Amino acid sequence: MTTAPYNYSYIFKYIIIGDMGVGKSCLLHQFTEKKFMADCPHTIGVEFGTRIMEVSGQKVKLQIWDTAGQERFRAVTRSYYRGAAGALMVYDITRRSTYNHLSSWLTDARNLTNPNTVIILIGNKADLEAQRDVTYEEAKQFAEENGLLFLEASAKTGENVEDAFLEAAKKIYQNIQDGSLDLNAAESGVQHKPSAPQGGRLGNDAPSQKEGCSC
Amino acid sequence: MSANESPTDPAAEQMVEQASATTPESPTEAPSDVSPDIAPTRKTRRRPEHKPPPADDPSPQEVSESKPESPKASNESAVLQGGWGYWGSWGKSLLSTATATVATVGQGISQVIEKAETTLGIPSPEELSAQAPQEENTDGGTAGAEGEAQDDTAMGGALGMLSSLSSVVQSTGKTVITGSLDALEFIGKKTMDVIAEGDPGFKKTKGLMIRPTTLSQVLREAKEREEQQTSEDLSSDVEKKAHYGMLFDEFQGLAHLEALESLSRESEIKVKSVLTSMSGGELAQLKADLEEVSEPFSLMEFEDDDDDTKEDSDGVEFAKELRDAMSRLQLSVTADKLTQARTNIHDRIADVKSATPVSTTEEDEKDEADEMAVPQHTPEDVHALAISSLAELTAKSIELFHKVAQVVLHNASGNAQISTGDQAKVLAQITIMLCKEISLLSKSFTCCLTTVGSNEKGEVLNPLITGVFLEASNSATYIQDAFQLLRTVLQLAHIQRTADFAQ
Repeated sequence: MTTAPYNYSYIFKYIIIGDMGVGKSCLLHQFTEKKFMADCPHTIGVEFGTRIMEVSGQKVKLQIWDTAGQERFRAVTRSYYRGAAGALMVYDITRRSTYNHLSSWLTDARNLTNPNTVIILIGNKADLEAQRDVTYEEAKQFAEENGLLFLEASAKTGENVEDAFLEAAKKIYQNIQDGSLDLNAAESGVQHKPSAPQGGRLGNDAPSQKEGCSC
Repeated sequence: MSANESPTDPAAEQMVEQASATTPESPTEAPSDVSPDIAPTRKTRRRPEHKPPPADDPSPQEVSESKPESPKASNESAVLQGGWGYWGSWGKSLLSTATATVATVGQGISQVIEKAETTLGIPSPEELSAQAPQEENTDGGTAGAEGEAQDDTAMGGALGMLSSLSSVVQSTGKTVITGSLDALEFIGKKTMDVIAEGDPGFKKTKGLMIRPTTLSQVLREAKEREEQQTSEDLSSDVEKKAHYGMLFDEFQGLAHLEALESLSRESEIKVKSVLTSMSGGELAQLKADLEEVSEPFSLMEFEDDDDDTKEDSDGVEFAKELRDAMSRLQLSVTADKLTQARTNIHDRIADVKSATPVSTTEEDEKDEADEMAVPQHTPEDVHALAISSLAELTAKSIELFHKVAQVVLHNASGNAQISTGDQAKVLAQITIMLCKEISLLSKSFTCCLTTVGSNEKGEVLNPLITGVFLEASNSATYIQDAFQLLRTVLQLAHIQRTADFAQ
């Protein structure tokens, strides 16, 4: 175990939502393990994953809440939206029903998170082009109408998976930089670690060292 | 204190100088006519060239400086019976240089003393040396006698000087000793502080005692502190491995705990709103029901006495019991992750044990040879493994409770034959089982530690063992607290079930 995993400046809380079987857990698994999980069991309630990635020159730890898609869990999973900085709303490009349910998921996401929560729409299973049931264009239009980021991705091939998480993180970071996201707000979904060494701010090192070795 | 903390020697040196410098000023020893002579001496002592540590340089200079004075001094020795005080004055000046040199060597100690004094407000060296003259007095008497016996020549002066020197050595020695005792006391206190600062477990316990907010917050703060320490403190590799809070977070214990807390909180709100919407007999009935559900949460007994001496080091018995209990819950939640973690931990302990030959007296030499050949587990390794295992098992326990909460809430209308109150009872039993397991685990790890570290000193081994027990006790507390979060969840489940049943 090295120190590297603990060197990050921010923690962003993400939630992944969407219908059952659209591949939410597989997206997470691909993102954290860089592997495709072919036989993925149904998620009970919520599972978690973490990964540290560099976002606009900052090390950010993503704490991802992967919720269950099953309708019967909906009441429980609603409890987990609170305090999310980013939401990945996933549908399956080969199943139109999962796309049609997006408005319901979006309503939950809007109602249960804060106004600054960045929502990215992900059309998963992009590798199954032959079975495509939802066109890129219509989904793109839906995203634009609702002010969402949008990407088509494949948890199987890994295509755009990294970008999906990264694009949302960049937007969150941008919101922090331009002040529209208040870090002090209770449910911003972002934790800042001012103590962590940050790029371009060398002055931080001196006091922290002093703290470390007072004996 | 920071102003005096300069790590270079001058500060320490100066302090010691001041200590000896003040001595002659005590009324008994220093007649007023002597004082003018002392003043310049003191001045010379403070000259910058005395500050650098070189051992050879200042002393000869000092001696040569004082030589012209010695004849004059020997003359006066006849007049002054206790004239040693005078000798003493420059003898000490010589000594001060000597101590200055010594101070350079024992710099660390002087600094500790200095720190101790400034922090604790113990008597300053000046005060201490002011007490010393009483002893010096007697010494001075013999010094003077010696001086007379050896005639009143420069020789006698030199001797007098030497003896007075020794007397100052005594007094300075006393200062050092008194200082050292205080320093030890100070170090003790400081160590407690350092332990409190450096030991996340201690902090956590303290945090729990105060209970500022929620458990997850306490744990998150602990984790953040550890992360901060780790990112700053690159030197200590051992510490890095054994941060409970960070490991607990890595096993996603923190996330599950947070999620469980939010479920518990929301359940509480819902239960309250249901209660306010009711009245009369209906309300009384529901209150009684909820009381029944709550009961197992307050009747908990977590005495982990060693009444059961059964050996279950491989955790098979534990896995079986847990599986039975889980099935009694009728929630289609399995504890597989947890039992798997338990099994892995057992395997790791077995690895350590097999790699550590049980040393008997006859085999000692052979063992030593083995140790050379096979890389042994160090106590630090075992400690890190213990902390990590405890963090993992605790995280998995909390994950289990979280899963139970999720399934209880969505499955309320399900086909469970067991009442919510009985589920609560089973969960209480599971909590006890988990806490016992944690306790058992800590025992086998500390056992391992003593075996592995049989050649280590107590001061190396004891903190590690204490650390394991501390985190084990913390782990048990977290598990119990997580269990308590289930109370409102089960109450809400009960309400939902009754409502569904009515329909």
